[in-house]
Amino acid sequence: MSMNNLDLNTPIPPGKDQDMILNAVTDEIANRGFVIAKADKLFNWARSGSLWPMTFGLACCAVEMMHSAASRYDMDRYGMLFRPSPRQSDVMIVAGTLTNKMAPALRRVYDQMPEPRWVLSMGSCANGGGYYHYSYAVVRGCDRIVPVDVYVPGCPPTAEALIYGLLQLQKKIRRTSTIARG
Amino acid sequence: MSEMQIRPMTLNFGPQHPAAHGVLRLVLEMDGEVIDRADPHVGLLHRGTEKLIENKTYLQALPYFDRLDYVSPMNQEHAWALAVEKALGIEVPKRAQYIRVLYCEIGRILNHLLNLTTFAIDVGAMTPLLWGFEEREHLMEFYERACGARLHAAYFRPGGVHQDLPDGLTDDIVKWADKFPEFINDLETLLTENRIFKQRTVDIGVMSREEALNYGMTGPCLRASGVAWDLRKSQPYDAYAEMDFDIPVGKTGDCYARYLVRIEEMRQSLRIIKQSIENMPAGPVLAPDNKVTPPRRADMKNSMEALIHHFKLYTEGFHVPEGESYTAVEAPKGEFGVYLVADGTNKPYRARLRAPGYYFMAAVDFLSRGHMLADSVAIIGSLDVVFGEIDR
Amino acid sequence: MEQVTFPLDSVKQALSGLIEDVSTESGEVVVRCASAHIIDVLTALRDEPSLAFDQLTDLTAVDFPSRPYRFQLVYQMLSITHNLRLRVLVSVPEGDVVPSVRPVFASADWAEREVWDMFGIFFAGHPDLRRLLTDYGFEGHPLRKDFPLTGYVEVRYDDTQRRVIYEPVHLTQEFRDFDFLSPWEGVQRDIQTADDEQESAT
Repeated sequence: MSMNNLDLNTPIPPGKDQDMILNAVTDEIANRGFVIAKADKLFNWARSGSLWPMTFGLACCAVEMMHSAASRYDMDRYGMLFRPSPRQSDVMIVAGTLTNKMAPALRRVYDQMPEPRWVLSMGSCANGGGYYHYSYAVVRGCDRIVPVDVYVPGCPPTAEALIYGLLQLQKKIRRTSTIARG
Repeated sequence: MSEMQIRPMTLNFGPQHPAAHGVLRLVLEMDGEVIDRADPHVGLLHRGTEKLIENKTYLQALPYFDRLDYVSPMNQEHAWALAVEKALGIEVPKRAQYIRVLYCEIGRILNHLLNLTTFAIDVGAMTPLLWGFEEREHLMEFYERACGARLHAAYFRPGGVHQDLPDGLTDDIVKWADKFPEFINDLETLLTENRIFKQRTVDIGVMSREEALNYGMTGPCLRASGVAWDLRKSQPYDAYAEMDFDIPVGKTGDCYARYLVRIEEMRQSLRIIKQSIENMPAGPVLAPDNKVTPPRRADMKNSMEALIHHFKLYTEGFHVPEGESYTAVEAPKGEFGVYLVADGTNKPYRARLRAPGYYFMAAVDFLSRGHMLADSVAIIGSLDVVFGEIDR
Repeated sequence: MEQVTFPLDSVKQALSGLIEDVSTESGEVVVRCASAHIIDVLTALRDEPSLAFDQLTDLTAVDFPSRPYRFQLVYQMLSITHNLRLRVLVSVPEGDVVPSVRPVFASADWAEREVWDMFGIFFAGHPDLRRLLTDYGFEGHPLRKDFPLTGYVEVRYDDTQRRVIYEPVHLTQEFRDFDFLSPWEGVQRDIQTADDEQESAT
């Protein structure tokens, strides 16, 4: 059975079908030592399965971000490990109010991240200024500085909401053709 | 032997650094590994809160206080609520005072849990964070059950608290409070006698009594230097006068003393939590003055007057008589003060927020001089800085 | 925060000749003095044993554009020994230089920097009076009443220049600042100003 017929965009529920595919893959590895898969699908699978966000805690949302990584919500389950360095990370979570003074630093950190990279804007301040929209010191939305993939609403979004947003990002990655994106 | 010319090195620390507790940029002038001068660049989270408050009504300004020190939101609200009540001259019902005290102490534990565990991470211990955050989740559940939000509560209002506690909540808090001392003991087994932890903190960032006062330190950082000073005791507000608790005081004034003071404060907070639940009287939770506090939802269904009051209150707000006042509370980090200048309109003329962390940050230069680079991380961790309140 | 027995007399005695006025405003003791005396006043308050105001809790300012002495500096003092609070008010006109109290209280260091940043009050003798909270290269003093809430500039990343640039503020919706004091008075004020403008035009 070939992997080419499979539509990887729709996950196969556990059951007979899934078992059959898994067995086929295992057999193929056992017989021939390799399997054939579409490269971009494979890349997407690998990328969405190990999204490494960068800790970019700015304000209140950072507390919820820490909670989502800590024991109860445990983001490690999804293969998401917080990395302190932009060079090692795939996702930037802009968690909190972005101010004019911080904006150049945010952009610089974003520029240091390797491609492909994604940005998740967390909370109403990062989404559009929120409660501080009219302030003289606040950037009215972090999308003025970096391109944003997923917006998570809330002030602050709960840890669950952040994880939901990250799962949405995984979905988005799976349905993009990564090789074409370059 | 010819003298070698050593060029001092300038090291830029942050603004994106995991040990910076937020968005601190620290410019360090180094002599080798030793810090000659530390120049903290703050303001990377300066959101203009004081200016925004001048443009909002008294009630609209309240949620800004949650977002100052977002680690213990309700303690900040408390200062604002007290300041407005003082200016208006309204009396808060007893039950509301007890609820406020209860939630202030929950906020104190929330704050100390986050501070101690992230401090431990900064000096190399990972486990306390994983344990401590589970306890924080319990406390945030209590927040959520009282007001609907995990973090930014907007629960304390001028005149009381927004709504009464739901049934069964106090029982659950007591159940949790019975189990929590065990957690503190566990946490202490990880850190208090830990050799690495002590090597990183003992005799680091020492402050004498005089220096601490001179630098404007308050809260645990002042008490660690041997000053028995706590606004809850010395200038009690709300129901704190009726509570029986002790003030832990440190001896050495170093990072380790600050850690020990916070640990003991959590135990004392538990005592206050239990007392406030035991002695909590029944009754209303909001002052009955309808010009300041909103009418109950049920009244609005029947009474035209209540509806008008509600509308006026949430559009125009209440007018505060002219005057200036300074109100301070003992927030978990130290003295959080509000200097409120009212001009008789529905908006504050000027509100100065005296954040404790601001003065801690100013003292970083003094504390870290002559220490190693790695010690600056321990100093910042032990001072308990949160940039929401420093930069405002 | 009742301060039942505030030693008002010893304040007057310790500060005689230095201050303009001591008063009690809604239970809080307020001392007014001229800016030239501020160092002496704070030192005297600290060194007088019956007062011992050993901490400068806070230092800030308030802007009153209509007053001849535009700014009011506010020094919050705390005596831990005697559990007392006191407020020292200093009125200064725009452009005036105030002596820095940094040599007396170290906590004034950043507080004065912030007042300089936010109000543009210059402190003479401060060792390092730089802007603190506002953006690098910020212009203006935001907490002055004539500074607009949304400021003058906002930032955006420019793809062609490949850097973050500053632009004049453009809001899709203005800040909705309703005048609730009285709708009728508001109208009258507008008529009045319109009349004044007509008169000045003719």
